[in-house]
Amino acid sequence: MKKTLSAITLLTASALALSACASGSTTSPTATGAGTTAAAAQNITLWLAGGDTPDALRDYLKTTYQAKTGGTLTIEEQAWPDLVTKLTTALPDANNTPDVTEIGNTQSPTFTNVGAFSDISDMYSELGGDKLLQSFVEVGKVDGKNYTLPYYFGSRYMFYRKDIYKAAGVEVPKTLEEFNATVKTITTKNPKNIKDFSGFFIGGQDWRNGISWIFANGGDLAKQGNGQWTSTLSDPNSVKGLTQLQEIFANASKAPKTAKDQSPWLYINNSDVVKDDEKDPTKVTGKTSLAAATIMAPGWAHWSIGDLVKKDGKEVRQWNDDTFGTFVLPGNDGQPAPVFAGGSNIGISAKSKNQEGARELMKIIFSSEYQQMLGKNGLGPANSEYTSSLGDDQFAKALIESASHSKLTPAAPGWASVEASGKLEEFFQKIADGGDVTALAKEYDALLTPMLNAK
Amino acid sequence: MTAVSAPSAPQTTSEPPQRRRRFSPTPYLLLLPAIAVLLLALGYPLVWQFVTSMQKFGLAQQFGKPPEFIGLANYTRLFTDPQTWAVVARSIVFCLVNAAITVVIGVGVALLMNAVGTVTRLTLQIAMLLAWAMPVVASMTVWIWVFDWRRGIVNWGLTQLGLDFTNHNWLEQPLSFYFVATVIVVWMSVPFVAFSVFAGLTQISEEVMEAAALDGAGPRQRFFSIIVPMIRPVLMIVALLQVIWDLRVFTQIKMLQDAGAPIAETDLLGTYIYRLGVGSSDFAMASALSIFVLLLTVALGFFYVLHLMKEDQ
Repeated sequence: MKKTLSAITLLTASALALSACASGSTTSPTATGAGTTAAAAQNITLWLAGGDTPDALRDYLKTTYQAKTGGTLTIEEQAWPDLVTKLTTALPDANNTPDVTEIGNTQSPTFTNVGAFSDISDMYSELGGDKLLQSFVEVGKVDGKNYTLPYYFGSRYMFYRKDIYKAAGVEVPKTLEEFNATVKTITTKNPKNIKDFSGFFIGGQDWRNGISWIFANGGDLAKQGNGQWTSTLSDPNSVKGLTQLQEIFANASKAPKTAKDQSPWLYINNSDVVKDDEKDPTKVTGKTSLAAATIMAPGWAHWSIGDLVKKDGKEVRQWNDDTFGTFVLPGNDGQPAPVFAGGSNIGISAKSKNQEGARELMKIIFSSEYQQMLGKNGLGPANSEYTSSLGDDQFAKALIESASHSKLTPAAPGWASVEASGKLEEFFQKIADGGDVTALAKEYDALLTPMLNAK
Repeated sequence: MTAVSAPSAPQTTSEPPQRRRRFSPTPYLLLLPAIAVLLLALGYPLVWQFVTSMQKFGLAQQFGKPPEFIGLANYTRLFTDPQTWAVVARSIVFCLVNAAITVVIGVGVALLMNAVGTVTRLTLQIAMLLAWAMPVVASMTVWIWVFDWRRGIVNWGLTQLGLDFTNHNWLEQPLSFYFVATVIVVWMSVPFVAFSVFAGLTQISEEVMEAAALDGAGPRQRFFSIIVPMIRPVLMIVALLQVIWDLRVFTQIKMLQDAGAPIAETDLLGTYIYRLGVGSSDFAMASALSIFVLLLTVALGFFYVLHLMKEDQ
C-alpha cells in the first residue's frame, strides 16, 4: 500500500514537474530579455534588407557602435521578398523584434500607420532635418510625426549594348516615344541572329520597372482625396502608358511573361554564371547567354555587368565602355522620365526594449562618415549634403539624373499589403499576355482600392 | 491490511473492489501531461484561429489594436468569392490526382522491390531514402533549375531529342505549372508509399502465394485477389495520409510560384491562405479559410477513418 501510494506521489510530482518545464520554457525568453535591458551597454539587432549594404559598411556600423556604447550590434540580413512577412510577425513581439530595421520605402506607410515604429521627431533635425530626402521622409510620417527616415535611395536607369545598337543602326533614344520604337527595331532586326532576342528585356510581372511608363505618361497608381485612396490604373494617362508597355511586351521583349525584376543583367552579359566558356572561350556558348540589348535596373547593377575577368582567383565582371553604356529613360518631353524611386527607410521598432541603443545607432547611420560611405558605394545617401560622395562617373550621373524626376508608390496605409499580395504582378502579367488594358485596369482598380485603405 | 480478510469474503463481494480499483486516478494522472501538451500545442492555436475567424483582424490588430467581433461576416465574404471556390476545386483535384498517382507508382515500386535481388533492392531503397530525406527547400531549388526556362536540363533534353523546347517556360501556363508541381510532389511522396507497402508485402506468406500459383492463378489474379486484400489496411492508411498531405501542399507550390508563375491561377489552399493572411495581412479571412480546410480534411478523412475502425473490429 505504501509502495503504491509513493509511486502515485512520484508520478504526480513528475507530471507537475513536466508541466512546470513546459511553462518554464515559454517564459524564459522574457526573463533574458529583461536582463539585457537592465545592462548599461545595450546589445541591439539591426535588420538590413537584401545584400544592398556592402560588408565594409556593416563592419563600420558594428565597430562604431561597440566603440560608442560598449554594446554589441548584431546585423541580420532579411531577404526582400520575405521582409514584410518577417516584420509583420517580429515587430509586434517585444522579445523578438529587431531594434532597428530597414524597410522598403513603399512598405513604410503600412507599418508607420499601425504604430510599429517609435516616434523620433525629436531627433529629426539632429539626424539631418530638412536636408534628408523629403519624399522618403514623407512616407515615414504620420500626423506630422517622424517614424521612419530615409536610409538610401537608388534609381533605375537603362544599361544597353553599344555593339548591338550600332549593328542595328539605332541611336540612343531621346524621348520615350523614340525608346519604344528603338527597342522594337532592335528586336525585329536582331543583328546577332540570336533566338528569342529582346531589344528591351522586361519580364511580364515586372511592375517595378513597368510603372515608369504609367508615370511618364502623366498617370499614377493611386490618388488620395477626402482621406481615401483610389486606385487609378484606369485613368486615361495610366492606360496610355500601359498600352505602350503592352506594345513593348508584345514586340520588343522576349522575357518570360512570369519574370519579375530579378537579375536582368544575366541577359545583357556575353555569358552568364554558366562557366563552360572557360576551356574554350571561342566556343559560341555566349550565344545562349546574351539575350537582350537593353535592360532597366537599379544603379548598383553595374557591378554585375561587363566582361568576365579573373581577380584574386575569383571571377568578376569588369565594366567595358566599348560594349556597354548607360542612359536614363527619357520622358515624353526629353527630360528624364519619372521612374520608380527605389530605396529604403529605417526606423526604430516601437516594441524594442533597447530604445537608447537604437537611437545611438540611428545617430551613427546619419553621421557624415556613414552617409559618405553609402555614397562611395553607389547608394544614394539620405542626406542631400553628401550626394557628391557618389562621385562623378557615368553611374553616379545616371543615378542622380534618373532620381531627379523619380516617383514613389502611393503612401497609402495598405500599400505594403498590395505589394505582398502579388496583385500587381498578376495585373502586369495579364497586360503582358495581351489582355484588354482598359478592362483589366478597371478590374484591378476595383480590387486594389479597398486594399489601399485597409489598416 | 484489509486485503488479508478479502479471500474469506464470498465471490460476489470480491467484484466491487476490483471495479473500484479500475477507477483509480493513476492512469488519468499519467494521461495529464500528454493531454496538457496536446491542448497547449494544438488546442490553443485552433481556438485562437476559430475566435480570430469571427473578428476583424488585420495588421493594426497585430500591433495591439483591440479586434472587433463580426460574427460570420468573414465566412460570408469568403464563400461569396468565386476565387475561393476555384481554389478549393483546384486543390481537391490536385490532391486526389497526386495521391492516386503516388499510390499507384508507390505500389509498383514496392512490388519491384519484392521481386528483385538483394543488391538491386538495396540500391533502390537507398536511392529512395535519399529522395525522402532530402529537405524540401533544397530539392525544390534543384527542381526549379531542372525546369528553368533558359538553362533547364528538361528543355535542353527535349531540344536534343528534336523537339524545339528552347526557352520554353513551364511555369507560365497553369496546366503545365501543375504538371511540374505534380512531378515534384509525386517524386517526393513515392518513397514513403513504397516503403510502407513493401513492409506490408513482406508479411504475405510464401505458402499462400505458392498455393495460389499451383491453383493456376495468374500474376494479375494473384495481385488483385490475394496481395491487395492482404495489404489493404496499409494501402488505406497511406492513401489517407497522401490525400491529407497533398491537400495541404504548400512549400512546393510557393517556391514554384516564386520562380515565376501566374499567381492567382496557380494558388492552392495552402498558398491562398498564406497570401490572405501573411500577404494581405488579413488574418481573420485566413483563419476563416483555415477552419474551412480543417473541416474539409476531416470530411475527406472521415470516410477512411470510419472504414478503418470497422476493419479493426
